[in-house]
Amino acid sequence: MKEALDALEDRIAELRRAIRRALAAGEQDRVRELRAELRRTERSWDALVTPADRQEEDRQGLASLLPAREQVHQALTLVGVPAAPKLIGAVHSAFFAGQLAASQLASLRRDEERSYRAAPGARPYYLCPALTSDLLSPARALLCVSTWPLEQRIMGPLSPRVDFLSAAIRTAEAAGALSATAPASTTVERLLRRFAMNIPGAGPAHSGGSVAAKTIAAAARAELDIHTAQDQDDRAQAARRARQQLNEAEQLFGTRLTAIPGTGTARR
Amino acid sequence: MTSADARLDTLRGSTAPLSHTARTVAALTANPGCARRAVLDAAGADKALIAGHAGFPQTSGASQSPFALARGAVFEAQVKAGGAADLIRLLRGKLGLALPEVSYADLEQVGGNTDRDVRYRRTRALLLRAARHPDQAGTLYDHPMLRLQVGGHLAYLEPDVVAFQVSGKFHVIEIKAFAVIDGQADDESVAAAAMQAAAYILTLQDLLTAESLPEAAVSTDAILVTPENFSPNATATLLDVRKQVSVLRRQLARMTRIETLLDQLPPGLTFDLAPGPDEDFTRPRGELAGALEAIPARYQPRCLKTCELAGFCRDEARAAGALSVLGSVVRDDLGSLDSIPTALALASGSREPSADQADIARALRHARNLTDALAGGAA
Repeated sequence: MKEALDALEDRIAELRRAIRRALAAGEQDRVRELRAELRRTERSWDALVTPADRQEEDRQGLASLLPAREQVHQALTLVGVPAAPKLIGAVHSAFFAGQLAASQLASLRRDEERSYRAAPGARPYYLCPALTSDLLSPARALLCVSTWPLEQRIMGPLSPRVDFLSAAIRTAEAAGALSATAPASTTVERLLRRFAMNIPGAGPAHSGGSVAAKTIAAAARAELDIHTAQDQDDRAQAARRARQQLNEAEQLFGTRLTAIPGTGTARR
Repeated sequence: MTSADARLDTLRGSTAPLSHTARTVAALTANPGCARRAVLDAAGADKALIAGHAGFPQTSGASQSPFALARGAVFEAQVKAGGAADLIRLLRGKLGLALPEVSYADLEQVGGNTDRDVRYRRTRALLLRAARHPDQAGTLYDHPMLRLQVGGHLAYLEPDVVAFQVSGKFHVIEIKAFAVIDGQADDESVAAAAMQAAAYILTLQDLLTAESLPEAAVSTDAILVTPENFSPNATATLLDVRKQVSVLRRQLARMTRIETLLDQLPPGLTFDLAPGPDEDFTRPRGELAGALEAIPARYQPRCLKTCELAGFCRDEARAAGALSVLGSVVRDDLGSLDSIPTALALASGSREPSADQADIARALRHARNLTDALAGGAA
C-alpha cells in the first residue's frame, strides 16, 4: 500500500512541476492535458487512502457527532479485540450513527501516544497499538483500548486468527440484537458475509444465499475452541515478560528495536 | 563495502539504490547478455528516470502505472486482512491446510525497524527454525525479506508474497490483481507471475541448502492468488514452476560476475542525473546518452515489455541498422547477414551476395519482387 501511495505522490509532484513548466512556456493545450491527469491521479490517491464504503459519505461532508477517538472507542468496545482501521470503520458504519473516515484514523495512533506522554493518565482511556508477543513492539495497523488487560492487547502467533473469530462472534451477536429491533441493513449484512465466507461452517450453502448471525457465531466458536488454549498461553507468557521488562508507557505503546550506533559488524 | 559496491555507487550517482525485485531478476535472466541492464540493475539505478531524461520516456510496459500498483495494493490488503482470513480459506481448500495451522508472522518490520538487512536476518532465522523444527513452525510469513546472489552481487528480494509452511514444506504465494475468469487468465501475466515465484522459490532453496537442509522442503508449486471472475473475491491457482526454476538457475550461473563487467567500463562513468535545487535534472542529455552507450546492450523487441530503457536501446539499434530490432524470428532467418542495410541491398540486387549469402539473397530478392508486383497491381 505504501509503495502505491508513494508512486502516486511522486506522480502528483511530477505533474505539478510539469504544469508549472508548461504554464511558463505558454502551452495551453499541454496544461489542460496535464491538469486532467493530475485530477485523475489525485482521485486515485483519495480512493486508496479512503476505504470504498466511506467515499460517498466523505463527499457529502457530513459532520460526525463525536470526535473520531470516541467513535473508534465505540467500535472497538463492540468488537472486543484489537482491530485494523478497515474493520473499525465497517463496524462503526454498521452499528453506530455518524461518519468515521479512514483519514481520521491515520494519525490517531501517533496523536494518542503524544497525548499520553504529555499528560499520562489524564484521559479515561487511550487508543493504543496492539503489541507483538515476540518483541513487545507495536503491531502494524491494529488499534486497542488502553483499559483492556495486557493479555488482550498482545498478539501471539495465533492471535490474528483468534481475534478474527472473536470479532465474528461479537459482530454476529450485535447483529442479532439489532435485528430484533430493526430490519437488516446492507452494511451489517456485508460485514457478516465477510466473516461467514472465511469461517468453515458459517457461510451460506451457495454464494448469494443469506447469512445467519447465529450460524456464524456457532461456527466461529467451534473453530475458536481449537486455538484458544495455545493462544491464551502465548499471550499470558508475553504479558508476564512485558510487566517485568517494560514501563507504563511501553506497556501501552510498545518498545522499538533500534540499532545501537557503533556496535555490530561494520556495514556500508 | 567491496570495491564493486563502491564502483556501483559511483555509477548510480547521488540517489538511493532501488532494490532488485523478483520482477527485475526474472527480466534480467531473460536477457543475460545485456551488460547495460546488468550493470544498471546491480547499481540500483532508476532506469525509468534515466530513460526519461535521455529523451526516451517509457510509455507502456515495464514500469508499473500508479493505478495498477494501487489496485494491486488494495487487493493484497484485502486478502491479508483479519489474520489473512481469505488466504487461510484458500489454503484450506486448495492445499488441505489443517484447521489448527493459522499462525501468522509479520516480517515487514522487526520491532519497528524496517532496515532490509535486519528484516532479512529475522526472516532467515524464522524460516530456518521452521525448517529444523516443523512441529514448532509457524504457518504464514508475511512480507519476508530474502536475499539472492545475482551476478556476484547481493540482491534483496522483497516479495509481495507470503511464504508458508504446511506439512514440512514451504510454499511461495503470489498475490496479483489480474483476474482469473472461468479458470483462464492472461497468459503473459501468469507467465510473469510464475517467473517471479520461481525467483523466490530458488532463493528459498538456496537459503536451506546453505544450511545443509533439503532443497525439496521448498515446493515448486507456487500459489497464485487473484480475484475470481469479475468479483473482488479471491481464488487460488497452483502453478508448477519447476521449469522456470531450472531456467533461472542456469541463467544465474551463467551471468558474468559484475566485477568483470565493471572492469570493462571507462573509469569515472556515472549515470548521475545531477538533480538541481529545483529537482530538475541538469545532466546534459548528450552526456547521459554517451554514458549509456559506453556499456554494450543487447536489444530485442521483448525489451519493450520488460525494461524501462528499451526505447533508448531500440533507437541505438535502429541507428546501427541492427537486425535484432526486427525480432528474434526474422533475425534467425537472416542469420548470416549482419545488418538491415545489407539485407536491403541484397534484396534490391544492388549488392552481390557472397557464397554463403546466396540462398538468403535469393529469398530476399523474391520477396522484393512480390512486394513490387503487389504495389504495382494496387497502383
